[in-house]
This record gives sequence, structure tokens and C-alpha cells, in this order.
Amino acid sequence: MKRDSLTFHASRFTEWLTAVAKEVIMPKFGFTQENAQIVRWLKNAGEAVEQGDPIAEVTTDKVNMEVEAPATGILDGLRFAEGDTVPVTAIIAFIRGKDEKLETPASGQPTAEEKPRAESPVAGRPSSATPVAHKMAQEMGVDVSQITGTGPGGRVTKRDVEAHVTTELGKPRAVPAARRLAQELNVDLNTVTGSGPRGRVQSADVREAAKPQTANEGRPMSPSIVRGQPSTIPFTGMRRTIATRLQKSFQESPHIFFDAYIDVSAAEALRAALNERLGKEQARISLTAIIAKACGWALARHPLVNSRIEGENIVLLSEVNVGIAVALEAGLIVPVVQNVPHKGLAQIASEIADLAERARNNRLRPQDVADGTFSISNLGMFGVDKFTAIINPPQVAILAVSRARKQFVPDANDQPVARPIMTVTLSADHRVVDGAVAARFLQDVRAALEQPALMML
Amino acid sequence: MRELTYVEAVREALHQTMAADERVFLIGEDVGVYGGAFGASAGLLQAFGEGRVIDTPISEAGIAGACIGAALTGLRPVGEIQFMDFITISMEQLVLQAAKIRYMFGGKATVPMVLRTPGGSGTGAAAQHSEMLENWFVHVPGLKVVMPSTPYDVKGLLVSAIYDDNPVIFIEHKLLYRTKGPVPEEPYRIPLGQAEVKRAGKDLTLVATSIMVPRALEAATTLAAEGIEIEVIDPRTLTPLDDAPIIESVKKTGRALVVHEAVKTGGFGGEIVSRIVESEAFDYLEAPVRRLAGLDIPIPYNRTLEAHTVPQVNNIVEEARKLVRGAY
Amino acid sequence: MTKNKNLSPATLASSGWSEATAREKLAAMQLIRAFEEKAEELFSLGRVHGTMHLSIGQEASAVGAASALQPGDYLLNTHRGHGHCLAWFESDVNAMMAEFMGKETGYCRGRGGSMHIANVEANNLGANGIVAGGLPISVGVGLSIKQRQTQQVCLAVFGDGGANTGAFHESLNMASIWKLPIIYLCENNQYAMSMPMQKAFNIERISERGAAYGMVGVTVDGNNLLDVYAAVKEAAERARAGKGPTLVESLTYRWRGHSKSDKQAYRTRDEVKEWQQRDPINRFAAVLGLSEAELNTVRETAQKQIEAAVAFAEASPEPAVENIAEGVYA
Repeated sequence: MKRDSLTFHASRFTEWLTAVAKEVIMPKFGFTQENAQIVRWLKNAGEAVEQGDPIAEVTTDKVNMEVEAPATGILDGLRFAEGDTVPVTAIIAFIRGKDEKLETPASGQPTAEEKPRAESPVAGRPSSATPVAHKMAQEMGVDVSQITGTGPGGRVTKRDVEAHVTTELGKPRAVPAARRLAQELNVDLNTVTGSGPRGRVQSADVREAAKPQTANEGRPMSPSIVRGQPSTIPFTGMRRTIATRLQKSFQESPHIFFDAYIDVSAAEALRAALNERLGKEQARISLTAIIAKACGWALARHPLVNSRIEGENIVLLSEVNVGIAVALEAGLIVPVVQNVPHKGLAQIASEIADLAERARNNRLRPQDVADGTFSISNLGMFGVDKFTAIINPPQVAILAVSRARKQFVPDANDQPVARPIMTVTLSADHRVVDGAVAARFLQDVRAALEQPALMML
Repeated sequence: MRELTYVEAVREALHQTMAADERVFLIGEDVGVYGGAFGASAGLLQAFGEGRVIDTPISEAGIAGACIGAALTGLRPVGEIQFMDFITISMEQLVLQAAKIRYMFGGKATVPMVLRTPGGSGTGAAAQHSEMLENWFVHVPGLKVVMPSTPYDVKGLLVSAIYDDNPVIFIEHKLLYRTKGPVPEEPYRIPLGQAEVKRAGKDLTLVATSIMVPRALEAATTLAAEGIEIEVIDPRTLTPLDDAPIIESVKKTGRALVVHEAVKTGGFGGEIVSRIVESEAFDYLEAPVRRLAGLDIPIPYNRTLEAHTVPQVNNIVEEARKLVRGAY
Repeated sequence: MTKNKNLSPATLASSGWSEATAREKLAAMQLIRAFEEKAEELFSLGRVHGTMHLSIGQEASAVGAASALQPGDYLLNTHRGHGHCLAWFESDVNAMMAEFMGKETGYCRGRGGSMHIANVEANNLGANGIVAGGLPISVGVGLSIKQRQTQQVCLAVFGDGGANTGAFHESLNMASIWKLPIIYLCENNQYAMSMPMQKAFNIERISERGAAYGMVGVTVDGNNLLDVYAAVKEAAERARAGKGPTLVESLTYRWRGHSKSDKQAYRTRDEVKEWQQRDPINRFAAVLGLSEAELNTVRETAQKQIEAAVAFAEASPEPAVENIAEGVYA
């Protein structure tokens, strides 16, 4: 790979003169460059380096560059892992003397985003965690270096972070006062970000999380406008989480959009027929369930759309877990139906109904929102003709389903017939899913919906 | 109000009750001519004579037994065990006789005695002259256990103890003897089984006994400057324990710290923590309830080691700060 | 300092008792015997719980001592104390049996049992489950008597086993230096539990220890009612005169083992039999010149009282569980 090496001069190392470990910062290579991603470390912590040695390979705007050692000494205190995106001028490592010990231990990403609110980590150990784990840990206010990693090379994975934060019983870590308050204020502890040690939820956190809801309480559908008094919804809890994640997603994943107008008459007929056969206590099969099934079928045939980016790799996921977005008072949550291709429509429908109900009653558990590989957002019931959705990270695609409406379409004899036509819009991450891939996937979704029998293949 | 030292307050309590009630007498080693090893009974022999201030041979079992026998037969003896360490020699009499006679006899006997004893480390007296064994007696139903921390408290509680119809183990602290405080001149009683909030605060409930009370108050002043307001509660009587104010306090603050001098393992702190956690205060906890107490070692002779063995003001400051700032 | 004295054998005449009084004493001994035998029987039938320490064979020691004292005097008793309890003033055999059976109507509301029977109103300050446990308490009782300036004395009973405890030493020393009005009655029945006196002491007579405290020490034949009576009477006089305590060693023997679970591997049947020849009841009956028939009458009377006591006890209620914590604190 072609590399341009730039000798980098740091500008603010007054500490050099006082024989403290020298900081290595992420250099700015381009005029408008904001970030760079660490592709790989060329030297390891503890290795001796000479001034000018390349110690890391980073990528910016599709071009790879090298970071050189600003001094001679021992490289140590690596603050980021391969795959991490780092803002320019952030400290990424240190060069220390041979017998010197680093005072400031490695810690999580110090970005413009919220800092981890946990206690300062144990000295020395660089945090080796997947980017997803890092983000999750940050959101939960947990110090990644405190977590035992089960990923390759002992890396901390998202699952490790989750396991660290919740007990074996899947209960959130919360003090008694927080539990009591959560019950009183009807807050789902699972959705509260904890500010206490080890990501523990304190009562203040519950009060924060409850605020948006209490702010919305009693608001009529058509609020009377009080002149001169704007109402505020603070950016806390779920709202903040959504804001942060979706902003990141939209910024980082290059979204491409594909529309399809699908004739859902066959799907509707299937729905009616199957519902006839259901027992009284079984949940009715919805169109969403059929769409989920169709997507599941199509995803199995187009693995690239059922993938995620992990560091240097695109991981084609073995399971197809479809998330169905549910609108809540406080925002939005995407509970997941696991293993869709292996489940029948009745089961899928039942699960969707259960998940939606629990979502609305704040009774979702972490495992209900975990491991989604693809998402569907259906706003058809709100009369939306078309919309685009933001991809739900770390997934690479999302299907926005709008309403079906009767339209005249030519039949086999070019005669106009009225058919229920539903608009769907696929958003796909162009880093992984190119146009042709997306198009073919969508074609299969259409096929499955317009000829459901195809799903038996 | 005039100020007395803690030991002067003890002496005044003894003097005033002995003057008012001829059933009250003192018995112990060196309490008469010597005036008590720490001066608690100075002048009392001269005031009341040998019949009422009895010097004994070195016979702790005998001293305890003498108190029991006298109490059983109409008197109100105040015995002294010179160092709490030696109370171990009286254990049989206190635990198997004094504590149990009333119950074993179907409630038909009373043993209205007080056994005073100074405990605690900090004088370089080493392992066999520095014990704090209050929890041993808390663990024996039938005994009452009192641990006053101020001159005002010690006088009022001693008078109450003398007039209580039960055997009372009255634990003073050597390092408290010289502390000063306001003490009313007339006899007065502080009820046994009544805790006191020595300082109000909203951030942390700190339960302290004996010498740890003044240390906790000092720590509280330091912490106030940092914006941390500590509520200091002194149980004063360990048995029966007035835990209601402690529980109310923890409900308010959400955080609790227990500080005592005695060894942490098996110490009274465990009892307080359990009471808190078993109460409705549990639902209001923001952090684990913690204890600061003596290390699980005999008291060392060396001064620095000795000081290090039990909580000092800076230890209390640090622990309280950590609890309030969410380190646990 | 007075030396150890052995009193000359006392006579019925020297006791100053009338015939009637003497017979009362015999009956009192028999009552104790009957109580103890009944207790044994109840235990073997499973009607009594725990264990018991029978004083069969030691009746003269109990009755002799109590006879020498007055109402208002104090008793501090041992775990082998049924006899002393029964011999004491205002004793109620019904209340004793009820306590023995753990009933609410017992002396201690069923909470004390055999080893802790007390009748505080009559200044019976209780039997004690701790060997020599009552001795330190006796010091306090003595001090109290002196303080209040009354003519009471305190009878503090213990066994040969108790004479080797630290408490014995502390108590006798304090009693002596302060000249307390206490009678230390050591019922030397030759064995602590299994430890024979010869192995536990390097002296012949426990009463010799009086000298160590500057206290009068006397040894008497504990199975001779009159001897015990005389010795305790003299000790009581000494005490009331303000001349201090006395150590009275009463040589006797317990016919049964230490407690119910004692296999008595430490002594021979012959030895037991030999001592049974010196049955204190038979001996005093002989002194009184009673016929076999008269003695039988005494036995039957005692038996009837005991049967009545058992009936009373069995009809009495158990203590209520709701009241379990009553009596811990005043």
C-alpha cells in the first residue's frame, strides 16, 4: 500500500523538558481532516523505538498514513485499539524512559462526547476493546479496562461489556434507592444509564431518566400553546442515547437509499388466510410480521446485507435477527426477533406483539434489544407515503416501510387495476453494501412479498 | 455552664449518688486510697469512708461477684475493673451470673449493679491493657452496655446506670478522661437506650461510639469545608440500642458509615449495619453501608503502629469522602 | 489466727432440740430422699428433661446446715442443691417439683430448672450451674449485710470440686480480710465429677485451707446430722458476732453418679455400698430410737407429699411461649 510518511512535529510538549513521558498525538494530515482511524499499531507497548520510527498506520479519507515516534524511548500507554477513530491532536500513546513508569494509566476515549463517568481505571493496561464495546462502555459509564475480554486476543467485546454491567440474572446493577424510585416513577431500570461505580444506577440517574416522561405526562394531543413559554425536553436518558447513536450512524455510515413500490395484495391475502387458522389466544399475524419474514428470507440470500463492520473486517453474521422499531413516548427502541428464517409467521407475529407491548410498558430486557442484524421501521400506520430511515448501528441496512395505498397499475393486459401498493425504502451502508447488492436484496424482498410462496424455497 | 473533664464528671456522678443514697458504694482495685487508677474516685474514700469505698485485692471475679451479691441483697454497687482487659477474669460472673440470674429465677430477682471500666488504646499500654470488648457484652442478654463519649453524657448516663435495676457494663475510654465539656452541677439523668444526633447533616450518616465520636465530629468540620455535611449519631447505649434515629437518618442521607475502635470482625459495627440493611432504610441506600474499625490485630506497642491500628480523624475523613463521592 | 478444729461429736442433748423438732428434722431428711428418688424415677420414665444432680446420701448436710440458721439468712447453693432448697425456710415442695418439671408454677417459672432453683423471697439466692459460681456472690452478700448492719449470715455451699477454683480463692480471701458473715460449707463427697479428692488435692482436709486465709476451718462427719448442725451453728454465731467467716468441711458421699449420664467408672460398687451403710437417715433414726414401723411411717408421709407434688406439677401449665422474653431485664 502506498504510504506517504510525514515527519510530524508536535507543538505542545513543554513537558518534554521536565523528563516526563512524551505524548504521541494523532497528527492532522489534511487541512479539513477531523479524525483518523488507526488501522494498525506497528510497534507494541513496551517496544523500544527511535525518533522517526513509524509506530502506527492510520487512515484518513481513504488514504493511509504513518505516525512516527516523536522521540526515542519505550512506546507505552497505547490509548486506542486498531479500528478506533481518533480525533486529530488527541493523545494516542506515550514514549517513556526505560525505567520510567507511566503515571497516567490508559483510559477510554476522551472525545467531545460524554466522558466515562466511572472511577479512573487501573494503571498501565491499555484498553483493548472492539469499537462497539468502547462505545457501549462509554454510554454505560463503565471503564473498559476493568472488564475481562473474551474476544480474540483477550479483547473486550460488546457482550463482555453487557455481561459486566448486568448480573447473571439479567438485572441491572442499581442501588436500592434507585430501584425504589424506578418503581415509583415507572422507569425501566434497563434503560437507565448509571453514573455510579461499575455503571451502577443511582437514584439521580433514575430521576434524570424519568424527567422526559414526567415532562410529557399530561400533555394533550393538541397542546394549547402557552405564549412566551417554550417547554424543554432535556437531552437525557433515552433521548440522548438515540441522539448520539443516530448522529454517529448518519455521520459514519455513508447511506444510500433505494425505493421499491410493492404490491402487497398477495401478502394481505396470505395474512387473512393464515389468521383464519389461528387459535383465539394466538396473536394475529400483521403485515409487519410478513415483511419481517420476507426480509429474513432475503437476508439469508444476501449475506452482505446481514453483516457488520468490525475493525478491519466485514463480518457476515450467521444469524438473521430482525429488529422491529417501536415508537415510545420517550423515543424509539428496536426490540429484536431472533433467528427469523427459522421461525414461522405465527411465532414471529407473537413475538413482535409481545416485544412491542413490553417495550411500551418499559419491560424490555437487555437480551430483547441485543444482536439485531437488520431493522425494519414501519410508519405506514401514520399515513406516511415515503420516508428514509437511519441505519441502526452496527447494522448495515434498514428498511423503512411506508403505507400501502390503492393505486392503479396495469395488469397483464395493460388494463388499469387497483392494487394496494406499499412503498419501502432501503437504507444501506455503502462501505459494505454497494448499489447492486442492495438492489438485488430489495428485489428479493419484493419477490417474497408479492409471491410469498417463494419463501418456501 | 462550667466545664468538667470526663473523669471529673464520672467522679461527680459517683459523689452525688453516694451522698444521696447510702445503698450506693464503690468496690474495686485501688479505688480508695489511690483514688482510682485514672483518678475517677479521687476524694471519695475521704468523703464516704472505707465502708462505702472498698479497695480489693486483685480479684476481678471476686469484684464482679461482690457486686452481684450486694445487688441481689438490696444495695446498688458500682464496681470498677481497672482496665477493660481484666474484665475477662470476671466473665463467668458477669455472663453466667449477673446477666442470667433474673431470667433463670423466673424474673423474681434483680441485680442492680454497675461495673465501670476504662477501655481503649492510644496510651502505649500495648495488647493486654488496651482492649475494647463492648461487643462481647452486647452479645449477652440480661446485661446493658453503655459507652458515653462526652463529659455531659458520662455523668448523666452513670447516674441512670446506678439507678437502673439491671446489671450495666459502663465503658469509659482512657483517652476521653481528659476531654472537657459543659456539665450541669446538679445530678441529672440521661436515659439509657437513647441515642443522640451529635451533629446534623444531609450527605452521610455516621454512627460512632466512644472516642470515635469526637474524631467523627472533627472529621465533619473538615468535610464541611468541602461541602460534605455529615450527620454524626452517637448511640450512647449499645444495649438496648436506639436504632430509630439511625434508620431515619439513613433514609434521609442514603449513605451510612459506622466507626468504632474495637476490632472490625465481629464488632458492634456489624450489628449497626445489619439493623440498617434490615430496616426500611435499605430502600433508600445509594451505596453500600461501610464500617471503619480497628484492624484485626492485637494492639501493638509502637506508637505509630498503635495509632495506625484504630481509625483516626484522617481515616474517617477519607472514608466519608469516598462514600459520599460515590467511590463504593 | 485460729487453727483447724475438729469438733467433738455432738449429741442430741447438745442440739437443744425437742423430740418433736428432732422428728421434724428426720422427716425433712426423708422428704429430700423421697424427692430425689422420685426425680430419678421421673427421669428414667422420660417425664423430666435435661439432667439432674442427685444428693441422695447427703441429706444430713443439707438439713443440719439449714437447721442451724434463721429465717432471713441467705443461701447460695450448688447444682446438687435440691436438698438445701428443700431444707431452707419457706420451702414449697410443690413449687420445687413444678420447677423441676419446667412448669410455669415452678419457683423460676420453668426457666431455671434443677440447677437454678431459687426462692429469692426467702433469701434462697439460688442453686448455681457453675462450680463455685456462688462464692464470689457470697462476698457481695456479706458486704451487704455489713453495710446494712443486720444480723444475717450467708451460707455459701460448694463441693470439693469447687475448692480448687480461682473463684474459691478470691472469695474466701475477701471474706476473710473484711470479716464477712459467711459460712463456707464445703460438701466434700469425695469426688468432683470423676476426680477423686485424693488426686485433686495435696492436702488431707479441705478445711486446712481456712488457715491460708486466716479463717477458722472445721471438718465434720457430714452424714451425722447433729455434727453438721453443731458446726454450722458455731460458725453462724461467729459470723453474727462480727468475727468473720468459717470454712466448714462436711464429709459425705453421693450415692448416685455426678449426673444422670455418669457411668461411675471412677469408683467401685463396694465403695458405694460401704458408704450406704452410713446412711444419714438411718443413723439419725437410730439416735432417735425409732422403730422400723415408725421409720416407715416417716417414709410414707414423705412419699405422699412427693406424690402430691408430682400431681401438682403435672397439672400445672407450661410457660407460654409468648412470654419467652419476660424476665430478661428489669
